[in-house]
Amino acid sequence: MSPYPPLPPITKWLPVVALAWLVPGGGHFLLKRHYRGAILAGCTVIMFLLGLTMRGYMFEPASGDLLTTIIYVGGFIANVANGVLYIIARMFGYSQPDIAGHTVDYGTKFLVAAGLFNILAIVDAFDIAAGRKD
Amino acid sequence: MPKINLSHFEATLIFALFTSAVLGVVTKKTDAERLKYGLTSFGWFALTVFGLGWLMYFGHR
Repeated sequence: MSPYPPLPPITKWLPVVALAWLVPGGGHFLLKRHYRGAILAGCTVIMFLLGLTMRGYMFEPASGDLLTTIIYVGGFIANVANGVLYIIARMFGYSQPDIAGHTVDYGTKFLVAAGLFNILAIVDAFDIAAGRKD
Repeated sequence: MPKINLSHFEATLIFALFTSAVLGVVTKKTDAERLKYGLTSFGWFALTVFGLGWLMYFGHR
């Protein structure tokens, strides 16, 4: 027997998940969890902007040996998880070379971390929309 | 776009701060639990940064 209640209809949680991906914290705002949404949005946006100002590298999918594939595809997924932030940055032509140096390296990690924050926010918004969490 | 240069210490503490806040918000159920978890998590992050910093300092002597 599953420990979770049955999944509600897709129309109930899909808009929340889609908005949560597109706008950091947006899913929580849609579900009227305003202050949690504000904290998640703030953390994601600030980390992303810090990553940009540190000239972090944005991953593009690349294949090669297993480790290279995992790092580049994983990094790309985490970058795309930033939703509208990623889309705007790409639209304005943000592209930095993957060079050595601790500032750029931290910037790259900050961009990835911002995406991972948003993935956590998406999962949290889904749990709330599906009635698994308050 | 402005460019910033953070030291290792500043970057890791900023990372610790935001990571702790997000983990606190998404993993706990009440506000008190979230605050407690966030502060504890940040404390452990900071302690690890100090510990590893001193370890590397003595390792390079």
